[in-house]
Amino acid sequence: MEDVQVVAMLVRRCIAGDAAAWEEIVQTYNRRIYNICYRFAGTSDDAQDLTQEVFIKMYRTLSSYDASKGAFVTWVTTITRNLLVDHFRKTKQDRMTDSMDSTASDHEDAQPLSEQIPDQSAPPDARVRQREVSETVHQALGKLSPELRESVILRDLQDMDYKEIAAVLRVPEGTVKSRINRGRAELGRLLQRTYRQVM
Amino acid sequence: MPDHTSNVQCNEFDLLLSDALDGVLSGPGLDRFQAHARTCKTCGPLLAEAEAGRTWLKGLTEVEPPASLVNNILASTTGVDTQRLRTMARVPQPRVSWWEHVQASFLEPTWAIVRQPRFAMSFGMAFFALSVGLTVAGVKPADLQQVSLRPSAIRRTYYNTQARVVRYVDNVRAVYEVQAALRGIKRNMTPAEPGPAKQKEHKNDTTQQPEQKQDRNYSQAGEKLILASDPLGPSNRDLPVVSVTTYRRFV
Repeated sequence: MEDVQVVAMLVRRCIAGDAAAWEEIVQTYNRRIYNICYRFAGTSDDAQDLTQEVFIKMYRTLSSYDASKGAFVTWVTTITRNLLVDHFRKTKQDRMTDSMDSTASDHEDAQPLSEQIPDQSAPPDARVRQREVSETVHQALGKLSPELRESVILRDLQDMDYKEIAAVLRVPEGTVKSRINRGRAELGRLLQRTYRQVM
Repeated sequence: MPDHTSNVQCNEFDLLLSDALDGVLSGPGLDRFQAHARTCKTCGPLLAEAEAGRTWLKGLTEVEPPASLVNNILASTTGVDTQRLRTMARVPQPRVSWWEHVQASFLEPTWAIVRQPRFAMSFGMAFFALSVGLTVAGVKPADLQQVSLRPSAIRRTYYNTQARVVRYVDNVRAVYEVQAALRGIKRNMTPAEPGPAKQKEHKNDTTQQPEQKQDRNYSQAGEKLILASDPLGPSNRDLPVVSVTTYRRFV
């Protein structure tokens, strides 16, 4: 948990022009923002670019942060989420032209994920196996709709509570819970189908 | 499908699902929830899938951001690489003695070059060539021990060597002058031979080739044409030959 007073002081120092304070903010939050971007965008290059964009926006609008309205981490995550939504909208056309079967989760007769992921059964190294599983889950996450994806990322990967997620997504808590349930179930269905065929 | 025997309905099940997976739900509420999951054909699989999805997601580890990310962010926001600047500012520069300075700036780079195999090979070859040269010249290490290194002895050796070189050059000049004189006498004694043809002189002289070639091309205009069958005989070869050119007329 972030110490509210420490963060507030850090922000004040940063607004006053203290470069060290800004560097501390970057050091503290870059990992979190990068991970959100990576899980949402899917690639490391996109995640890097988006993380930089998030910090640029944060740097420019830091003076607009109001500690009384919410935690700094929620504010940062909101900026990240808004940029990710913008990025998703910008690249929507590219994704549609890239692949016609990219919305496997939306259609029952779409090609299952197991057919898109190469079958590499029982590699000898457990670490390689673990990495492959992580990659498979990461790919499956990318198949979820953006609403479900962002909800499960914030809940299960960033460990945010429902209230914070609701504040970031600007939807009621009930909607957040529903999206998380649907996202988890969709992901479980995709991966169960995949591993049923692989194993 | 809802199970009418329990109090939990499907829409309520959806709301309780996240609480149940988070472990918040307990007591009679959990019992009713589980009872509905066991009986409902829609909610039962939903619970299993959501549980599986949550387990998969929890298995994902955090990704390590690239090492350059922080510096890139700082460079793109503040415009300077503050990390580097601060590191430089924090670390006090240690005092460096002149020997360490020489060692760092001269000795270590030199030693790094010397350690390369190609340098060792070159050095070995040079040493071998030098030793072979000295052996062929008849220089022995024992002779070097007898060399006096006093300044007066070195000066004397220098002047002796210089005088020896001057004498050698004078002798060689005298020999060449005698040889030149003998060659001149011999040339005067022998009868004059007809000089070789100009073309033969220039046979191996490649410097004249372009001009010669040019002469040959231009000289064709001045030469007289000789017929293959000469009815007039050799005496009449001096007569000019008229070359007739026929122009074809297109009708």
